[in-house]
Amino acid sequence: MAKAVESSGELGTTSPRPLMRDLKAVGKKFMHVLYPRKSNTLLRDWDLWGPLILCVTLALMLQRSSVDSEQDGGPQFAEVFVIIWFGAVTITVNSKLLGGNISFFQSLCVLGYCILPLTVAMLVCRLVLLAEQGPINFMVRLFVVIVMFAWSIVASTAFLADSQPPNRKALAIYPVFLFYFVISWMILTFTPQ
Amino acid sequence: MLQQDSNDDTEDVSLFDAEEETTNRPKKSKIRHPVASFFHLFFRVSAIVVYLLCELFSSSFIACMVTIILLLSCDFWAVKDSVLPIFLECGSHSQITLPPGSLTFFVPWTPFTVEVNVTGRLMVGLRWWNHIDEDGKSHWVFESRKASAQESKTVSEAESRIFWLGLIACPVLWVIFAFSALFSFRVKWLAVVIMGVALQGANLYGYIRCKVGSRKNLTNMATSYLGKQLLRQDTGDDQTS
Repeated sequence: MAKAVESSGELGTTSPRPLMRDLKAVGKKFMHVLYPRKSNTLLRDWDLWGPLILCVTLALMLQRSSVDSEQDGGPQFAEVFVIIWFGAVTITVNSKLLGGNISFFQSLCVLGYCILPLTVAMLVCRLVLLAEQGPINFMVRLFVVIVMFAWSIVASTAFLADSQPPNRKALAIYPVFLFYFVISWMILTFTPQ
Repeated sequence: MLQQDSNDDTEDVSLFDAEEETTNRPKKSKIRHPVASFFHLFFRVSAIVVYLLCELFSSSFIACMVTIILLLSCDFWAVKDSVLPIFLECGSHSQITLPPGSLTFFVPWTPFTVEVNVTGRLMVGLRWWNHIDEDGKSHWVFESRKASAQESKTVSEAESRIFWLGLIACPVLWVIFAFSALFSFRVKWLAVVIMGVALQGANLYGYIRCKVGSRKNLTNMATSYLGKQLLRQDTGDDQTS
């Protein structure tokens, strides 16, 4: 089944730097997540740089400023990382086992990019927390997190739902719902000490 | 004498087989692309150094972890997008496309880049990427460059050694770190170490697949290498006895 093709001499040619191309691709995908519509961009040209950036940003923002240098937020950083990546991998395996026709990395890519709204929510929450604490503060944060959570779900279902057979859609979407719910919970219950 | 030397080389590391067995051109030992060679080693080695010395440099676990992650990602991107030169002459064929779905169990959770165009490469005779076609099926493509008659693209043995040395030594080191982190219960470093193993291992795997593209598969090559070693062992014993 392996097909042998002669490659032309193009390997040595020069062209625009791959870094800018990659950055543009990442930026374009961010736009697609913010304005979700049925399109194939996230699926066709998947890459995992965006999810990595988002994951690191979210993990950094979820740090408690602690005085004790022994517990300098180390476990929480790694925890967030592990939760996000392990959760995404589990959802992907689940959707593949349900008979989805999406590839492993495509699914990881979509799930990772759709964390963008929640990262924005985290940013807003941190800003809101600079003001004085109180029930109003909490209500604002709750509202923001709920809106962004809904946005993430809508964005990811727009990309992922088509890959599942129709009678399994709910089964495939439910873990995604849980995944983003856990992340939203982490964001909402965050309080800097 | 020259033949003797090249035979000795093939005994040591089978990965240099392709260079020795195909061409009669004189091997250049100067480094053609010092910048690329430097960066290939720089990111990998500095990631390892930061991991080992993090406790000395700063008390912040997060700063170390983020730095290591950044270095590993830069290294992965730089090496995979083939900033490194190796010129291979694989006479038979130079591109292998695997059937769709064949690599779905290959599970490194790492940032791969879908490569659409080869840009400014300092000539990797090897490259590999993932390609999604119109049906939504994903193909993994491993490619190695065919010999060209140009004088400028002769084999550079020094760079080849640098490339493969860096490519092989680092995943091995990260695996050692993984075990040490596991057994000394420094679990918080485990995430970083696993990421290191995954990223560097993935690059290594991809390039080895490119390199052995002209053979049937990796197991055949390993078997033939082991067979060769055993044979040499026997003849060596016969000669000494």
